Amino acid sequence: MKRRNSVMIVIAALCLALFCTYSTRNSEAIAQGKASAEKITVLNPLGTPPPIKLKTMAPRLDTLDGKTIYLVDDGFIGGDNLLYEIQDWFKANHPKTTTIFKRKGGGGFDAEDPALWAEMKEKADGIIIALGH
Amino acid sequence: MGIPSVPIVISDFYQQETEKALNEGLPGLRTQWIRGPVWAKTREELRRDVIGGRNPITNQPVMQEIVEKFTKPLTAEEKRSGEIVRDKGPATFTDTEENLRKMFEEKRWTDFLPIVLPTPERVDEMLKGTSHEPDEIVGKMSPTNTGTYFEYWTYTVKDVAVNAVMAGAKPEYFPLLLAVAATGKESMSVSDNSFVAALVVNGAIRDEIGINYKVGAMGPYSHANTTIGRAWTLISINLGNCGKVGTTYMGVVGNPMNLINIVIGENEEESPWQPFSVRKGFKKNENVVSLFEGWGVLSAANWRAASWGKEMDYPKIIKDIFDQQGMLFGACAMLSPPIANFVKNAGYDTVEKFEQYLSPPMQFPGMPPGAKPNAGGAPKDPAPKGDGAAAKGPMPKMPAMSNTAILVTGGTNNNYYSIGGMRYLQSVQIDNWR
Repeated sequence: MKRRNSVMIVIAALCLALFCTYSTRNSEAIAQGKASAEKITVLNPLGTPPPIKLKTMAPRLDTLDGKTIYLVDDGFIGGDNLLYEIQDWFKANHPKTTTIFKRKGGGGFDAEDPALWAEMKEKADGIIIALGH
Repeated sequence: MGIPSVPIVISDFYQQETEKALNEGLPGLRTQWIRGPVWAKTREELRRDVIGGRNPITNQPVMQEIVEKFTKPLTAEEKRSGEIVRDKGPATFTDTEENLRKMFEEKRWTDFLPIVLPTPERVDEMLKGTSHEPDEIVGKMSPTNTGTYFEYWTYTVKDVAVNAVMAGAKPEYFPLLLAVAATGKESMSVSDNSFVAALVVNGAIRDEIGINYKVGAMGPYSHANTTIGRAWTLISINLGNCGKVGTTYMGVVGNPMNLINIVIGENEEESPWQPFSVRKGFKKNENVVSLFEGWGVLSAANWRAASWGKEMDYPKIIKDIFDQQGMLFGACAMLSPPIANFVKNAGYDTVEKFEQYLSPPMQFPGMPPGAKPNAGGAPKDPAPKGDGAAAKGPMPKMPAMSNTAILVTGGTNNNYYSIGGMRYLQSVQIDNWR
């Protein structure tokens, strides 16, 4: 009887050890993402972007000679000095081009300035705008 | 306007501005890239390094390129018109868990922590948290919150549920998440300032869903605070197209608070004052979530480390700290209940009195107290030419510091509190989304 009990205990211990080994390996496999080749389905997490309406770009100029280029500062610190330097470059390198410096109003870097837009629509042949940073 | 134009942008924004130009319908926009940043450079440095320098993207002389951008004829691609219809792609993806996780990370649909994969079963379970139809449009979100710079993406109840599942949220949190999503406020701004966002929750829902508003209130010490905050991040990334480094995220140094944001349940029960939501016009016990944005929060001990006495003048100490805050976002304080009671016992029986003490109306030269100068933005008269002229000349007018918020949260085990430059945005009801 004692011997039979001992055998049973040994068998139970072996089964437990086998189970633990399997379980540990399975856990490791799961942790490594190798648990299953089974495929599952998940949902797309994205929102929906709007359609893009393509705009035709403005026709280019044949030359800058005799043209008026507006230099527009959006108000970010230092943009004015950058444009002043561009103005000086045009004076030295394209003396037949007129440049006009303007600081955009409107209450923010990305705010509209209808008065300036109207002025440029009437007088500008081209616009250089310094945007931030 | 029909006039050829050349925007000048520093090359660090190449990815962002290229995507922006496409979204605006101008994929061929002839932007001139220069080496930045421009500000703080002298005119000599600008002349030598920027105007006389090369485009960091093409390595061609900057001014030569500007001239060509005005005079080179348009290509067929640049003349193209019409509409590009976009959608979100396939409704579902089927693969092994390992491959799906990898795909979500590669597509930057995660915060790079492990996610709960949004299976249809899990999403259906989340949808049980609301009576609203899965296909109902909840709102729209843009990385700049205004839509003037980046486009808005729209999303449904089901889209929000997918992201709530990914964050590990429970269905009982879902109405709160829908209320936040419906505001359209992103939790991470595109701004290079590395801003963060905060939610303040008032009402019985705090206990109902287990929001921690006692010890460790602002930290990741409850399932609700952590996963609600994380869900807002994933909602912003996936439903608002936020947080894509190089395009819709440009925070120079970034901010770890973007991960789960700042989720604050007010400790209404131990506060000596009216709950924040009541001060914003809601009824007591009404379930309300309020949104903030700004620089983040920091322990007040960091400012006043030397202040450690038997008797403390907390109102004065808090005012000293508030006075150091910038004007852009105003200031907020998250007071523990003991500190709030110190303040109350010092004579401030309402928050309004304390806020008035902290931030009296600003007085501008030649104007009565509280009157604000015209909010006209940058003056149109150019500053005098010369090095540093912009810094010395007239500057854009900032709004007066009118945004002061006092919140009570946290435990009663010591006299600590946090201070931040966080601006209050809005408060919304939660129960509309049950």
